[in-house]
Amino acid sequence: MKTQNKFKISVTLGTVLVTFFTVLCIIPLIYMLLLSLTQSDSPFFRLKDIAFDFLNYRNVLFRNEYGRAVINSVIVVVFSCIWTVLVCSMAGYGFEKKPVPGKEIIYKIFIATMMIPGQVTIIPLFIIMRQLNWLNSYQALIIPMAGAFGVMMMRSFMKSVPDVLIEAAQIDGCSELYIFTRIVMPLVKPATVSLTIFTFVSTWNAFLWPLVSTTKSSMYTLIVAMSLLDTKLETNYGLIMAGASITFIVPFVLYCILQKQFVEGIALGGVKG
Amino acid sequence: MAAAKKTSRRTKRQAFYGMIYILPAFLVIMTFCVLAIFMTIYFSFTDYNMISPPKFAGLKNYFVAFNNKTFYAALINTVKYVIVTVPAQVLLSLGIAAFIAEKLRNKYGGFLRSAMFIPQIVSAVAAASVWKLIFRTDGILNSIMGTFGSKGLNWLGDKQLAFLCVSIVLIWKSVGYFLVIYYAGIMGVSKELYEAAIVDGATSMKRFWYITIPSVKPITYMVITFSVIGSFQTFDVVYQMTAGGPGTSTMTLAYLIYQYAFSNHKMGFASALAVILLVFALLIHLVQDVFFKEKKEAR
Repeated sequence: MKTQNKFKISVTLGTVLVTFFTVLCIIPLIYMLLLSLTQSDSPFFRLKDIAFDFLNYRNVLFRNEYGRAVINSVIVVVFSCIWTVLVCSMAGYGFEKKPVPGKEIIYKIFIATMMIPGQVTIIPLFIIMRQLNWLNSYQALIIPMAGAFGVMMMRSFMKSVPDVLIEAAQIDGCSELYIFTRIVMPLVKPATVSLTIFTFVSTWNAFLWPLVSTTKSSMYTLIVAMSLLDTKLETNYGLIMAGASITFIVPFVLYCILQKQFVEGIALGGVKG
Repeated sequence: MAAAKKTSRRTKRQAFYGMIYILPAFLVIMTFCVLAIFMTIYFSFTDYNMISPPKFAGLKNYFVAFNNKTFYAALINTVKYVIVTVPAQVLLSLGIAAFIAEKLRNKYGGFLRSAMFIPQIVSAVAAASVWKLIFRTDGILNSIMGTFGSKGLNWLGDKQLAFLCVSIVLIWKSVGYFLVIYYAGIMGVSKELYEAAIVDGATSMKRFWYITIPSVKPITYMVITFSVIGSFQTFDVVYQMTAGGPGTSTMTLAYLIYQYAFSNHKMGFASALAVILLVFALLIHLVQDVFFKEKKEAR
């Protein structure tokens, strides 16, 4: 009986602690959203200051090319997702199912690149893009997004595609293109969904490379525009928080809709990797 | 004989297809990662300001770096961020994951997990902007402390506190992510193991210590790797919240590289810093590998 009580106390205490930690996790975001609904020149607001007129949102979207930045971000994110999923699925399939000589060495090199901090390669990346005259271009923001992580993830899922199926299709005279697009890709669809989500969030939130490679304000991505909005001598904190909230709302809505795939993708990528 | 020839021709064709499949990824990764590393190493031995072509300078950049106070501050801070944030992230996420997996395997536990994950999807820039307001001297944190009779602290103005603030944001952002990874791992541990332990009368602390921790070791390895890489690259939060200051107290190598390369256009010197960052990243991985290998053998 006594141990039973002790057990209950520890569970209750643990639950309270975890709940408290959860509150700490989300309170800054609630603060951000509430402050974005006020016209405030201090970090404080009273509940009666909150107005659901979204004035700050309208103001921020129609100034400082913030609206343009939203469009840029959408373009970059959509094409990065398509590009990354395409490139990584192809590579994953090639590595897993094709007898390419020396492929394991290449794969090891790929995996090793994941350990390299992004700042180590940012200078040559900038110089290469400058040589190509690609600074301030969408392709400069999109093409480098495909990386070894996606290849590793797709390869681990390609293992689940039975070789027999591919061989049978080959014997039936299916073209290589048909086998890849109609047989293999549908089988690894869950992995492509996870990779799309992963690419979406990481491209949407990418900062260093867009900051470096875009010098014209008309090419800024949303996060770069947000950063500038905050560092300018803006005194309406509501407006800054509206800018921050816009960057948050898009991935948050995606997370709410596709929560299962979000978590599964991360967990699978983790456990399998 | 003919059949063998046919198979080999088939294999050759399959190999050719395979190369085509791998080619785009190969070009992207080889250019932007592998070639880029060699370029960084090359530039680190030159003076390069992007106007005139790179001039060979030998080891000058490295000598300058190792005589530069800001560089040492950034290097020490980078290591300090790893030492502070990695254990905090790992212990918090493992502890919470284990608790939820054991005691809160219900809807409420699921809700808590989902909520704690949210900071991970916020951009670091937006998060830093919000936290900057919270940490201000006239911000809400100090006013909450004020209600408890404290005078409040100069969070971002004090050297040690500013470092702590950046660390808090880094920890806040990643715990939910590692928690999800750990939770999946713990759910994958065989139930029989726990049931047998319960029959033997092991307390939940003992089960955590002797079953959960050893079982999730590969996941711990991965979480530590991700966490170290993340801390090593600390840039966004520092850029937005403190700009490396006050003084050099929150400066990181990543931020210093950015400053030298893209504000001062000292590409050669910045490349030398990048090479040093790379060496440190590899060293940490090496240490980690040795540590985990030894433990594996000891078991």
